[in-house]
Amino acid sequence: MTAPVVSSPALEQVLARARELIDQWRDEDCGTPTVKDFCRYAAALNDGEYIRRARAMEADGRPVEAPALFLAATMSWEDGPPEEELRPDGLARRESPCTEGLPVRQVHGGQSVRLVRPPVAGTRITATRAVVSARHKHGRSGEFVLLGVRTRFLSPDGSELTSVDETIVVLDATGGDR
Amino acid sequence: MTAPAAGTECPPRRYAHTSVQLFRFSAVSWNAHRIHYDAAFAASEGFPDTVVQSTLHGETLSRNALEWAGPGARLESVAWRNVATAVAGEQLIWAATVSSVEGARVRLDARILKADGSECVTGTVEVTLAG
Repeated sequence: MTAPVVSSPALEQVLARARELIDQWRDEDCGTPTVKDFCRYAAALNDGEYIRRARAMEADGRPVEAPALFLAATMSWEDGPPEEELRPDGLARRESPCTEGLPVRQVHGGQSVRLVRPPVAGTRITATRAVVSARHKHGRSGEFVLLGVRTRFLSPDGSELTSVDETIVVLDATGGDR
Repeated sequence: MTAPAAGTECPPRRYAHTSVQLFRFSAVSWNAHRIHYDAAFAASEGFPDTVVQSTLHGETLSRNALEWAGPGARLESVAWRNVATAVAGEQLIWAATVSSVEGARVRLDARILKADGSECVTGTVEVTLAG
C-alpha cells in the first residue's frame, strides 16, 4: 500500500522531526510534591472532601496520597519558561514537540492513563517521556499528524507510579489542505 | 456497593465547567495554552468560548465513575478520546454503561455528551470496588 502524500510542508516537517525523536527518552525531575500541591489541584476540581481528608491525615502524621490523576493531568514540571519564550498559542516548546517555528496548531486527541501506585506527598518523582509514534492522516477536515507521546512517572526506586499515553493532533495553521 | 452486572446503565450526571474553573485548572496543571483562559484567542481559533481541557474531561470521566462506584472505590485506569470541543458554561452530561465485571473490578464505557446528545468525549474507566 502506498503511503498518503503529505501536501502540507509544515506537517511534512513535523513528521520528519518526530521520526527523528521516536523512542528518545528524556527524563524530567518532577520534584517532591507536597500536600499543598495535592490540595491546590483538588481545589481546582472543587473537591473540598479530598482537602479535608488530606489535611487530617497530614496532621496525624499519616502518608497522603495524591488525587488519582494529579501526575497525568499536570502538563509540565519545568520551572519556566518565561512568557517571551512561549509560542503565540501559549504553549511551551516542551508541550509542543516537533512543531517549533512551524505554522501549525495542535489539540489533544485523548489520553490513556494507567495507575499503578499513587504518589505520596514528600516523595521525589521522575518522569521519563518520549515521542513513540508519528502518523500522517487524512480526515473529514483535511490532513493532520497524530503524535503519540508516552510518559512514565517513576518513584526513586525506579518503580512505576503512573503511565500516560497521549495523542496530539497537529494541524496546518495556514489553511493549506484544511 | 454490590457488583453490578454488565449492561447496567449508570444514572447520568449533568454539569458545566465555569470559566473560573478552567482558569484554575490550567493554572494548577501548568497548562498555558490560551484557548483555555483567553476567550478572544479561543474565538480566533473558531471556538465560542474558552475550551475545556482534555485532562479535565479525563477527571470528569473518572470522578463520576468513582462516585457511582461508592466509598472506597479505586481508579485503576482511564482512557478517552476527544470527539468534539466543549466550552465554559456548556451543559454537559456524563453517561456510562458497565461493560464488564471481573470480581471487584468493573469496567465502564463512559461518555461525555453535549446537551443535544451528541458525543463530546468517549472513553473507558476501570475501577475496583471497595471490599
